Amino acid sequence: MADSGQILAGFLAPHPPHLVYGENPVRNEPRSTGGWEMLRWAYEKCRAKIKAWKPDVILVHSPHWMTIVGHHFLRVPHLAGLSVDPIFPHIFRYQYDMNVDVELADACFEETQKEGLVAKKMTNPHFRVDYGTIVSLHMLNPEWDIPILGISANNSPYFYSTEIGQEQMVKLGRATARAIAKTGRRAVLAASNTLSHLHYDREPELIEDMNKEVIFNNSQYQWDMRVLELMRSGHTEQLMAIMPEFMEKAAAEVKSGGLTWMLAAMGFPTTPAQVHGYWTVIGTGNAVVEWDLTHKAA
Amino acid sequence: MPQGSIIGAYIAPGLPHLASDIAAVSWDALRRGFHQAGEHIHALQPDVLVLYSTQWISVLGHSFQTHPNPQGLHVDENWYEMGDFPFDLRVDADLGTRAAAIAASLGLATKTVNYHGFPIDTGTLVALRFVNPANQFPVAVVSCNIYAGQEDSLTLGKAVRQAIAESSKRAVVISCTGLSARFFTDEIAPYNDRLSQTEDDAWNRRILGLIEQGRNAEVLAMSGDYARTAAVDMGFKAFAWLMGTLDTPSSPGAVLAYGPVWGTGAAVVEYQL
Ligand SMILES: [Fe+2]
Repeated sequence: MADSGQILAGFLAPHPPHLVYGENPVRNEPRSTGGWEMLRWAYEKCRAKIKAWKPDVILVHSPHWMTIVGHHFLRVPHLAGLSVDPIFPHIFRYQYDMNVDVELADACFEETQKEGLVAKKMTNPHFRVDYGTIVSLHMLNPEWDIPILGISANNSPYFYSTEIGQEQMVKLGRATARAIAKTGRRAVLAASNTLSHLHYDREPELIEDMNKEVIFNNSQYQWDMRVLELMRSGHTEQLMAIMPEFMEKAAAEVKSGGLTWMLAAMGFPTTPAQVHGYWTVIGTGNAVVEWDLTHKAA
Repeated sequence: MPQGSIIGAYIAPGLPHLASDIAAVSWDALRRGFHQAGEHIHALQPDVLVLYSTQWISVLGHSFQTHPNPQGLHVDENWYEMGDFPFDLRVDADLGTRAAAIAASLGLATKTVNYHGFPIDTGTLVALRFVNPANQFPVAVVSCNIYAGQEDSLTLGKAVRQAIAESSKRAVVISCTGLSARFFTDEIAPYNDRLSQTEDDAWNRRILGLIEQGRNAEVLAMSGDYARTAAVDMGFKAFAWLMGTLDTPSSPGAVLAYGPVWGTGAAVVEYQL
């Protein structure tokens, strides 16, 4: 269908606030001397591609908007405010200002219900957007000139089980793809997730002291590499198969569902993904990864 | 200077349903219990309210609010339709700072938090709406460290106890926590609210029964089992914190109200000291 929507690309878009802090944008109050360049430069490559595509919307699924009753969609046309990270307030105090694609939110809501899932529209104009959503979106598009749609992470993977949770995320992904198709959107997806998630609980004096920035342990690193290798080679089926074990062994944040949601929405692509960069943040493993579907669609 | 003391202690729920005006048998009973607690606290005229909230989650150790006047408007991320929480707190920053220093000297990782716009959690704001509606009393708030166990939570309470003693203030301590925390994951009609599992209800009642008999040390000993079996809010660490502040007394706690909120267990408990 010529006028039907299309998913242009999906990004694994980790959200440590350290990345914004290291960049020193005017929107963020604290100042740094840099740090985490391998991830920030990786994001810069994605920014350029997104700019060139001129998408209608960026959708982001964030583990730091965790909801108990169903899957929620931001449904307020304009959201702005100060976001102070509850865990890292010393490095993230950010003025956000975003336009929400509410028509797409409505479509996602309807399609999610059709999958038999509980869906909700977040319509409170005073709602404070979570920092996971904000950091991933800033890193992908710091100009904020593309409308967005924020999706909550339903806590079913934690409340029930990994299996039930991931099943729900697959359904949510299918629903999202149908909503994009029927609204005719050219969309970019972002799974706001870190990989291995064991971390240090004390920070160095200079937060951006890269001399102190190492993976929490080598087993975490090896798990991250195994997962990234499967992404790079397009072995999505194998990736999905080892994901539960990865979640368990590496306390991987992908358990919250963003990656599964995104891969499902893209139809579990076997296109090799591009790993733009990998680095640690307080010991956790983070990768910026891109699945470019524009060639496939053309 | 006379030594400060703890003149009242409470366990209180923190879900925003209670701050809404939606009628439900259980929510109304909890609101009545909460109001009763508020009246008793008002009669005590404390110098400060010290809260621990399971909904203020910290990861890098234990956090202490030390901004003198946090102001803003809070909306719960799950229950944003239950109403907005405008806030304008008077924080006893000295007490928070001192408690953090003592906690650090006892081996805990600590952080004081003094930032404009820092998100104040729903639990703290729900509790304060009932027990400090006129913003009459200064408050101190400490976080729930997700990695802390019972031992650390007791130590954190002990640090607060010592800070209060040194401050020469009369304090009321409030542990803002749910009991069993298995929510309904569907929409429910509030008037149909009930405990999502009868086993959870039994566990909650058993624990509250022991508290009513002053068998607090036993409750501490059973907390691990209780937390695992009834999926208790943040492992019932909030109770350990409270016992840390009170040095695990054998005083009984009066259950002012108990009932479900969206399938979870909630209670207002009052220790008169
Ligand atoms: Fe995270």
